[in-house]
Amino acid sequence: MKRLALAKLVKERLRADDLVVCGLGATEAAFKEAAPVNPTYYASDPMGLWPSIALGLALAQRERRVTLLAGDGDLLMNLQVLATIATAPAPNFRIVVFHNGAYSSTGGQPLTGKPAFAAIARGTGFERAAEARGEAETARALDELFAGPGPALLDVWLEDEPCPPAPPGPWSQVEERTLFMRALQGLSRGSRSG
Amino acid sequence: MVLEQLKKAGIDLVASLPDQWLGDLIAQCEADPAVTHIRLAREDDGIGICAGAWLGGRKSALVCQNSGVLGSVNALGGIAFHHQIPLLVIAAHRGHYDDSQYYQMYKGRICEPVLEAMGLPYWVIDGPEGLPMIADAARQAYLNRLPVVLLLRRRALVGRK
Repeated sequence: MKRLALAKLVKERLRADDLVVCGLGATEAAFKEAAPVNPTYYASDPMGLWPSIALGLALAQRERRVTLLAGDGDLLMNLQVLATIATAPAPNFRIVVFHNGAYSSTGGQPLTGKPAFAAIARGTGFERAAEARGEAETARALDELFAGPGPALLDVWLEDEPCPPAPPGPWSQVEERTLFMRALQGLSRGSRSG
Repeated sequence: MVLEQLKKAGIDLVASLPDQWLGDLIAQCEADPAVTHIRLAREDDGIGICAGAWLGGRKSALVCQNSGVLGSVNALGGIAFHHQIPLLVIAAHRGHYDDSQYYQMYKGRICEPVLEAMGLPYWVIDGPEGLPMIADAARQAYLNRLPVVLLLRRRALVGRK
């Protein structure tokens, strides 16, 4: 399965008031191409910090679902964060790993090791962690991910595709951050979901 | 006490990694039903948690040893100057005249120069009489949209023990 197909499957399952934190590089490119309507914070740098940023957001916005779209290299950089997430009071927090086994945006160098993220997550205390390959299996696994409580993780194995570096967008990271916070503020009178 | 001052600053989420001097504070955070306490395995995850919480409108602090500040330099730099997100770090300032362990000494030597080099605001709190500075430092962080680091000496954390 290609990463855009996964981004679209995720997008189809998101509610309008869900919050998304999206990892950098190929994951960001795929989710932007899928054109989500949710407030989404695109990670940029520092790499490795996004699982904890997303957890912090989930702890602050406990009445909304927060989903982290994690690059595999991003997650591998800071694996111990899974132990913190596993024991955090975050039933509204879910992680989808875009797992292509490569550092795509730096030229496709292979990922160090062959991390089995679902097994690692279970080993740190996650009660709900699974993996999926191919569209049909992934669609079912995503349905399960969103049906049950967090913290939960789904590791989705993808084809390795090239990802040419994207030119800078119109906004600086600080401006992106402000736009995200404004979008979140705009949701505050809308419906909420647990 | 430190937790009282954190609450005064509107902080009700604390991420921590233990240090010998932080035992009382961490136990108080854990016991207080009005505080969400998150246990870390590495300090820069606490920088991330505090940054994400602020995105969502919740004030929080990282509690750790000053070695955790050193280990979080990249995270702090990115959050400070790329994202401009405020947060508060409460760090045990190990490795000075009030420390009796030789393996802490290097941390005392390099922590403040590293913070200087990073251009991050920091303050040293010598004892309990300085703890009201916590709320001021938190306000400084929010006004500046920058992390502010407080380095607490032994007497500010463990009193007469």
